[in-house]
Formats: sequence, C-alpha cells, structure tokens
Amino acid sequence: MIFLRRLSQGVFLALFFVLFLKTDYNGTDHLDAAVNLLFRLDPFVAACVMLGVKSFLLLLLPSLVVLLLSVIFGRGFCGWFCPMGTLLDLTSKIVSVRNKNNRTYYPSLPLIILVFALFSSLCGFAVAGYIDPFSLLVRGMAQAFYPLLNSLTVGFFSFTYRDLPEIINQVTEPVYSILQDLILPSEQKFFHLAFLSFFMLVGIWLFEGVQRRFFCRNICPLGAMLGLFARRALVAGKGGNSDCGSCRICSSNCRMGAIDEGRKIAMANCNLCFECVQKCPRQIVDFGFSTHWSANTSISLSRRSFIGAAIAGVVLPSVKGVEVLAKNPDPSLIRPPGALAEKEFLARCVRCAECIQVCIGNALQPAFLQAGLDGIFSPVLAARTGYCEFNCTLCGQVCPTGAIRELSQTEKHRAKIGHAWFDKNTCLPYAKGTPCMVCEEHCPTPDKAIRFRDVSVMGDAGRMVSVQQPYIVDELCIGCGICENKCPLPGKAAVYITSAGEDRHPNIFLPSATATPYSG
Amino acid sequence: MNRRQFVRDVLLWSAGLSLGVPCFDVGGISAASAPPLLGVASGKDYSLLVEKAIEVIGGIKGFVKSGDRVVIKPNIGWDRTPELGANTHPLVVRRLAELALDAGASGIQVFDNTCNEKRRCYASSGIIDELEKIGDKRIRWEHIDPRKFVPVDISAGKSLKRWEIYQDALTADCYINVPVAKHHGLSRLSLGLKNAMGVIGGNRGKLHQNIGQDLADLATVVKPQLIVIDATRMLLRNGPQGGRVEDVKIADTVIATADPVAADAYATTLFGLRPEEIDSTVAAYKMGLGEIDLQRIQIRTVQV
Repeated sequence: MIFLRRLSQGVFLALFFVLFLKTDYNGTDHLDAAVNLLFRLDPFVAACVMLGVKSFLLLLLPSLVVLLLSVIFGRGFCGWFCPMGTLLDLTSKIVSVRNKNNRTYYPSLPLIILVFALFSSLCGFAVAGYIDPFSLLVRGMAQAFYPLLNSLTVGFFSFTYRDLPEIINQVTEPVYSILQDLILPSEQKFFHLAFLSFFMLVGIWLFEGVQRRFFCRNICPLGAMLGLFARRALVAGKGGNSDCGSCRICSSNCRMGAIDEGRKIAMANCNLCFECVQKCPRQIVDFGFSTHWSANTSISLSRRSFIGAAIAGVVLPSVKGVEVLAKNPDPSLIRPPGALAEKEFLARCVRCAECIQVCIGNALQPAFLQAGLDGIFSPVLAARTGYCEFNCTLCGQVCPTGAIRELSQTEKHRAKIGHAWFDKNTCLPYAKGTPCMVCEEHCPTPDKAIRFRDVSVMGDAGRMVSVQQPYIVDELCIGCGICENKCPLPGKAAVYITSAGEDRHPNIFLPSATATPYSG
Repeated sequence: MNRRQFVRDVLLWSAGLSLGVPCFDVGGISAASAPPLLGVASGKDYSLLVEKAIEVIGGIKGFVKSGDRVVIKPNIGWDRTPELGANTHPLVVRRLAELALDAGASGIQVFDNTCNEKRRCYASSGIIDELEKIGDKRIRWEHIDPRKFVPVDISAGKSLKRWEIYQDALTADCYINVPVAKHHGLSRLSLGLKNAMGVIGGNRGKLHQNIGQDLADLATVVKPQLIVIDATRMLLRNGPQGGRVEDVKIADTVIATADPVAADAYATTLFGLRPEEIDSTVAAYKMGLGEIDLQRIQIRTVQV
C-alpha cells in the first residue's frame, strides 16, 4: 500500500507541475489545460467563495466529489493526492524532526481557522486564499520559485555564454535551449511580494523540522474540513488492541498525529499513509471498510473556540467598512479585464496567482494593501512593469472561481479596465518641445485612443519648433497601460493609468462621459 | 576600420575577449557611385513578386553567396494577422527564405525584436507557419536572445553615438532587411530604415526624440546587403500597428534594392508622398548612405 500511495503522490505531483507549466500561452488564443483544476477540487475554497457570493457556483462543482470521497476514504486526499502534502513529505526526508514528542501542537487551530474563514467570507472578508494550501503553493511557485528558477538558469547560461570558451558552449547552449523549450518561462517575470510569497512557502516547508506535516496538522483548513467528513469514513483504521505491547511505534511514527496513546486512530486526522500498518511489529494495525468505528478520538472544537472564531469572522469585516478605502478606492487598483465589481471580485478571488502566472506581459501583480487587508495577493495591473496585451484573454480562462470572467477577444478589445492620463509637466512634447509619440505608436485600439495635435511651441533653444502633442480619446481608451509601459522617460512615466472609467464600476465615470455606463 | 574588422570586433566583444566596443567606420562610402538599381514588381502572386523584383536587379545570387549565413529581418513587431498590414507578409518572407536557400545559404535566421509579446507576434504574423512549410533545417526562426546585444560605437553618428545592437544582425554574411511599408504617426512612414529598430535593444523609444537622424545614424552600422520592401498591403492610417482592414490599401507591390535610401525613397511615393518628406530618408541621404533622387535611381518595373 505504501508503494501505491507513493506512486499516487508522485503521479499527482508530476501532474500538478505539468499543469503549472501549461498555465502559459500555448501559441493559440485558448488554453487546453491549466492548474485551475486543483482549485475547483478544493471544497474549502468552494465553501468560502459560495458563502461570499451567496450563490451556488457551478465552476466549483468538482469539489463536491472530493467531499464525497472523504466520506468513503477519509483524508486520503491529503495523503495520496495533495501536492502540498507530497512536497511536505519530501521535505521531511531532508529536514529531520528534532522533537520526539509527536503530539500535535495546535490540534484545534485548523478548525478555528476554518470557522473563521467561513464566517468572514460570509460577511464579505475573503481570506480563504491566504491559507488555502493550493493558493499558498501555486502563489509561491508563480511569484517566487518559478521566476527565480529562470533568473538563476539564465544567469548561469549567460555566464557560460559570455565568459567561457566556445567548446564549453557547444555543450551548454543545447542544454539551455532544451530547458527553454521544456520548463523555463519565455520571459523573466518580476513580482511584488516575491519575498513574502517565497517565505510563506518556505516557512511551511521548514516547519517540517518541528514536526511532520506541521502545516496539515496545525493550520490547514482544507484538511480540517475534509476531517469533518472523514470522522465516520467508511474506510477506517483498526488501531492497537489488547495484544499490543508497549512499543508505540505506530503513534510515534504517525505523520498526522492521528494515533493516540490508546493506539486508536482518529480518522479526522489520518491521511491513510499506511506507515503504521507497515511498521507495526505484530501486524496488528490494519485498515478496512468498517461500520464499527473506534471510539471517536478526533479533536473537536470547544464551544468557546467556535463562538470566538465566528465572532472574529463577523467583526473583522465590519472594520473594513470604516477604512478609507471603503470611501475612496485606490485609483491605482486596476483589475484584469473581465474582473467582476470589486466586492464580488474579492469574494471570489482565492489568490491562487494563476492569472498572474498566465499573464503574458507580466502585467498582473499581487496587490499589497491597495485593495485593503483582505485584498493582499489579489491581482492588480502594474503598467510600468507590464501592460495588458490587446489580443490576450488568458487570465479569464484560468480563473478557477470566475472572479475574472472569461472574455471573448471581441469583448476583451472593448473591455475598459482603466484610463490613461498625461502628465504634461514631464511628457516630452509638452514639457520640452521634444518629439516622442512612443505612446501613440503602441496604442493598440484599431482606432487609436492616443492621438496628437501638431503644434508650434517654444523649444529649449529659444526657437519655435513644431511638435506633436498627444491626447487621449476618452471613448476609445481601454486602459491597457501599454502607453505607460513604453513611455521612454526614466522612472515614472508621463502617461499613466488609473481605474477611472473602468467598466465594472459604471458609477465612477470619466468627466467627459455621461452618467450612462461606458459602452465601447 | 572595414567590415571584416568590425565583425571580428563584435565577435571578440561578445566572447568577452575584448573590452573595446566595436566601431564601424563609414568613411569610404560616397554618393557619387553608379546609380543604384531598384526592382519593382507588382501583381497578385506575392511569392512571384519577391522573385521578380530581385531578378530584375540581378537575381538572388548577386546577394547571397553559396555557404553564406543569412539573416532575414522582417517586421514582426505586432500581434496582428497578415491582412492587417502591420507585419511583413508571410509569403514574402517565405519566398525570400526559399530564394536564399536556392542560392546556397548555409543557414538562415529569421527574427525581430517585437513590440508586443514576442510569441503572440510571431504566431499572429503567420511567418512561422510559412517558414515551417518549407521544412528545411537550415531555416531557424528564433526569438531575440538578450545575451546577444552588443554595445556598438556609431562613429559616424551625428545624434546616436552608441547603442546596443543585435550581434547576429551585424555578423551575418548577408543581412536582408524585409520591412513592410506602412503609416507611422511620428515618422509618417515606417520603411526600411525604421525596420532597423527591430535589431536594437535598450530603451528604443529614446530614438523617437530625433527619429530621422537616429535612424540614419543606425544605418551606418546596420547595413543590409539587400532590402526587400513589402508593399503588398499598405497600412495607411493608425500605424504602425493598425488593426482595421479598412486602413489597409492593397498595393500588391514588392520593391528590391541594395540601396537603403533608394528603397525608402521609392516606397514613399507609393503613399503619394515625396521622398524628401521623410526625415530619415533625407538624413541618410545627407550622410551619403544612398540615393534619394528618383531620377538618379535605375528603376526596373515588372508586372507579374
């Protein structure tokens, strides 16, 4: 069984990596596969999102299958499928546990987190993405590990290319080219919060040194949720009995701390790794279909903790209502095209970073506090780093929860995500009478949203010069940010995007527009 | 310093063996040489246009020698499909590659430093599809490799003194410039000289501040052996990236010449403009890089 379990873990981990790599432009306008499948299987995400939007979302239906499976197989999902769990098991082979006491430190914490997350989601404060294992994993990979892998690899092969003799390059260059074809991204990406994403994931791994599956036992709300259904799972572990000696091999080896002093197996915790079965010297421990559950040794939440977590989940969202952001949204908060109105967007967004991973222009960045305390890691367009590619619709295709609607290319061409403004104090034709028009050159709307007037101005040399000065046609600008991105000024661009006039909030209209929503 | 020495310097620099920035001296060029030849083919069969336009100026073997490493540099700058006229037409690029193969090219590289996302540009342009139809291993389309930009001193430059230029464009035995003729807001037209923007790195927008002279300066170091201008579908408005078929004029014309100034000068007339109206053409002419006067160009037209 252990072999089968490891095989399953290996296969699903490999599948996860393949899906992660496939979350990228594939040469056509439509993706055939992406890692969003993982989030659609996640009942914790599903429950939080559905509570947040207060309706049933068909997109998240697959998660029901996982819940039903946990009624049969308990938390086999955690032991056999979860890529985070597999990575933790691999980490524990490197990071060895010093503390021999195998008791779970905070056995009820996952349930407290679960209750808090559910209540706060219901009240409009979506935090599921901060602690969901898949969100943590994909986010850490997308925003730290994957770009880091590329940066180090490119650095190495740039060194070999520039500084080593031709004969070595004949070996290294083909290797580089294979790596580029198979695993490296097509372009180096750069991210805000790269350190935070990195440390959150590395931290989880390092805690393997405190105890095995520390995250799963002490934090993971998804595991806690599956545990609720697993308590009376059809597959149950037969723990020790009166024939047992005093070896305690099973309980001291249990990576989930699911076996108590009396050698009873708590199915709410057991992830069916079968290590106890293999290690039991007398072959007493066993698993099988059972309707005679061993005494319920699972941890349950005290009434006090439950009420405390629930109250915190209700109170915190109300504080959000008195933040300045509730009155004056941050104008730099440009959401991806197809993003729902901010409230529903945040309720659905699970911070999985897939849109950020797939974004072809490195335009989408994880927000820090621009969207509030509950908006950290949500995607925001940072035009100076990357612009929204006119013909690309990938972010809407990978969003697992529909926080970003999937747009057709025609819809995308008209989707206004923000608006461009000129800073005439720095824009060269205005400020210095110098020709430029790089913004106009790149403006992608077929009928250009950036145009220019031919004017005569006093140049720096004290002579009149004729120069083209750009301006924005409000009705045509879609806020893609290519103008801000390509502006040749150093540092801050002389043309920049704000969220003004964006489609999803028709009440924030431009001064030139009428009160009717923008219609393209 | 001659071309051979220049190529050696570029290679040494990029191999890390030399700290001296490569430099190309254009002192020897004079406008007083024989009138340049310019072939113009028009008709519906774009492949044939390429062939004929080159044939009337002496045929491809006059440019590509057997064993040459050839670079074909189309405009693949934008994520636009061929009918929109923002990129060089894929059939033009393909035929050119086939001709170079026939002439005995040992390898052909096709690349451009794109403005939109590189993979989308290459795919939408249709150029990859056409090149792969040839099915010859000697043809390699590739994305720009940032490691291959080398700083080059532009000693003859009046405005642009030094810039990062793509090594492969400088060291090819035969560099073929294949721009698409189209509208451009700032420079009015984007033609052959403007297409050199696709082999340079750095903050390219900087060149817009003195686009005419900068392009002419660039032309003193980026020196194609052959220029083939694709004027099959000319974008007349909202250039250089366009996006509307209504803005495209079907002109069904291909121009071929070895003179970078003559190429742009003639192509300008297709838009109903005079060559003198394009700053870069004038600047390049003044630097002695070629002929701007249509009367002094041997124009050989052929109807296909």
